[in-house]
Amino acid sequence: MNLSFLLRAPVLAWRILSHEKGRAVLATTGVFIAILLVFIELGFFIAVPQGGMLVYDHLRFDLLLCSKNYAFQAEPWQFPRARLSDAAKAPGVARVTPLYFAGAKWQEPRGGDRLDAFVIGFDPAADPFAVADIERQAPALARRDTMLVDNATRSIFGPISAGTEVLLDNHKVTIGGDYTLGTGFLGMAVAVMSEANFFRLFAPRTAELVNLGLITLTPGSNPGVAADALAKALPNDVQILTRDALKQHEDKYWTTRTSVGLIFGSGLIISFIVGIMVLYQTLATQIARHLPQFATLKAIGYGDLYLAAVVMIESAMIVLVAFVPAAAAALAIYAQLRSATLLPVVLTPTRLVAVLVITLLMSAASAFLSLSNLRRADPADVF
Amino acid sequence: MVALDASRLLPRFRGVPLAWRNLFANKRRLLRSSAGIAFAALLMMVQLGFEQGFFDASLSAVRALDGDLFVFSAYKYRFGTRDPIEHGELDKVRAVAGIASAEPLYADWQEFFWTSPIDGKPYLVRVFAFDPGAPAVFSLSGIKDQQALLKNDDAVLVDRRARAFLGMDADAKETDLNGERVQIAGSFALGPDFMSDGTVVMNDRLFAKLLPGNRDSAANLPIEAIVIKLRPGESASTVQSALRAALPDTSTVMTKAEAVDFERKFQEELSSAGPIFWLGAIVGFVVGMLISYQVIYTDLSDQLPQYATLKAIGYKTSYLVRSVLGQAALSGLAGYVPAWLLCIAAYRIIGAFALLPLHMTSRLTVLTLGLTLGMCLLAAALAVRRVIAADPAEIF
Repeated sequence: MNLSFLLRAPVLAWRILSHEKGRAVLATTGVFIAILLVFIELGFFIAVPQGGMLVYDHLRFDLLLCSKNYAFQAEPWQFPRARLSDAAKAPGVARVTPLYFAGAKWQEPRGGDRLDAFVIGFDPAADPFAVADIERQAPALARRDTMLVDNATRSIFGPISAGTEVLLDNHKVTIGGDYTLGTGFLGMAVAVMSEANFFRLFAPRTAELVNLGLITLTPGSNPGVAADALAKALPNDVQILTRDALKQHEDKYWTTRTSVGLIFGSGLIISFIVGIMVLYQTLATQIARHLPQFATLKAIGYGDLYLAAVVMIESAMIVLVAFVPAAAAALAIYAQLRSATLLPVVLTPTRLVAVLVITLLMSAASAFLSLSNLRRADPADVF
Repeated sequence: MVALDASRLLPRFRGVPLAWRNLFANKRRLLRSSAGIAFAALLMMVQLGFEQGFFDASLSAVRALDGDLFVFSAYKYRFGTRDPIEHGELDKVRAVAGIASAEPLYADWQEFFWTSPIDGKPYLVRVFAFDPGAPAVFSLSGIKDQQALLKNDDAVLVDRRARAFLGMDADAKETDLNGERVQIAGSFALGPDFMSDGTVVMNDRLFAKLLPGNRDSAANLPIEAIVIKLRPGESASTVQSALRAALPDTSTVMTKAEAVDFERKFQEELSSAGPIFWLGAIVGFVVGMLISYQVIYTDLSDQLPQYATLKAIGYKTSYLVRSVLGQAALSGLAGYVPAWLLCIAAYRIIGAFALLPLHMTSRLTVLTLGLTLGMCLLAAALAVRRVIAADPAEIF
């Protein structure tokens, strides 16, 4: 078999594919939908654990100090403030900032449902939030009984425009403005306020019990090394997490502790199977349609292996042609998902390549399945 | 048997069951197409099953309540949130005629931490409490029949369907709840929902002891619901009106059906689970339609001369169209039946791991059958234009 003979395989595959345009479009559309399905399920699978990281992605810190019982962001447990001041004295630590979390009943002053809101108390001077809207509205945060509200707060909480008064645990609080961060898995409504307002609202709670401690390191420090040093220096009722460790912890929580991983994981698996079915269906039909042609090729001396290669190439061609619009559609859907959930659902190059590899594997699997049809191509039978 | 049932879906024959014959003409192709349709149907079933499972999980606690009427705070937006009723209301309720019993249900979702026997860490759990000497407030087996066990002061019943990391299904006989030792006297099967990973049931005195804050007597405990049973023969709506008249408008009175509906409405309005799973189901529908279209299109292309011949010998186009639609419906059924069986197995496996109540209900069966047939018929309707256009004179 010489080289030009081998090189002709893709040409042959392309000829077979483009022979009937309508049919080729139909096949590609089917594969397009199958790939899109994989992208969508993958998007959900990625998005959900991201919800756990949303608030952390918008906080300034190198290390997170939290209770050893920390479960996830909305269930962080608490630890004595002294741990944080001890941490502040450690070498390499630039500064520490406590965050306080509470749940409050939110009610419009005219009455109605008492809804659950999530409230974060922080020191605006420490500037822990990397959210432009929050930094810009520091003067509003300084006002008494005033808070800023996440604009992803669900609409049943009523209007959240600046100046609106609401009842939080039966105390009148004024909305100073809103900000864009996203509520993630914290709740249906999230508000931030200064420590002074927080402890006035949630009296008799004091600043002595902290929910999360944000640690910023001096420039050039290695977070991993600093985390180990701090963990050794502090009592074991707290733990120190680097950003990477935190991400791993949250991912693990959402994919293993809750049913989220299983639900979207099973969706992902079914989407693979459906994808293979569509591809197989398409290829098998193509082969069945071209059985006379394949039989002719056999009759004039092409081998089974060579024809198998042609089918494999044809299958890969369909996948590649369908992949481009599917990836484009996925980008649009991810953008929708991002604006709806504010979760950083991004189609990274790694994920793009992963889906491409997966779909090529699917095409190889389905081509393999459909080869049995090809073997039946007996020149004597066909005519 | 299958043939008998399916034949009702076919167009009326004139001698030849064309759809049937066409379908079985190529067994290999039938297998391939029904496998494709089966997976599309399975995808829809699993997605819609998840959607239903999520609703059922969030409704399971309300459904487990054993009462004819319930009093809740009027400010409650869902059952599973702290919003207690004034204590004085209990006496007002008990004074209303027609009531056999009215028992307070104490509950908390935010303040009880269960030390998992597995890793020794505290986790937030949902707690229900009541007077074990009074008429039952839960109809759930495991609670109702083991209520007497709760008379011991440190005894609790736990949810053996709670998430695994809580260790409630293990053999542990005792553990800590809010730092106090409690004895695990028995278990029931309720399952987790969106908010709660597991549930603990106890008597009202233990609840008062463990609940943080200074609650020196049961009179200060948060009553989240009053569970009312009517005297035999009393009309629920009459007593409901009497209760509404007797209670201030800070309380609301619901029948069991209304309470379940109230919870469902909240989930429908605020949960994003519904749209996510419907999106998955729609994708399944489109995929199924494409597979179905490919099958029918190919088949029609191959058989075009035959269809043209039938036309030429006098068969009406409408007959041929009905035959194609019948064939599509049949192939839909051929995919649906194995998918339905496979799905029951999938529900069992996924449900056991995800602790979701996944069941093939008659609603899901009918809904997914409708969708499967719909996608096949829609695909057939799109493909059948070829038959309509088939001109005997052109084909040969």
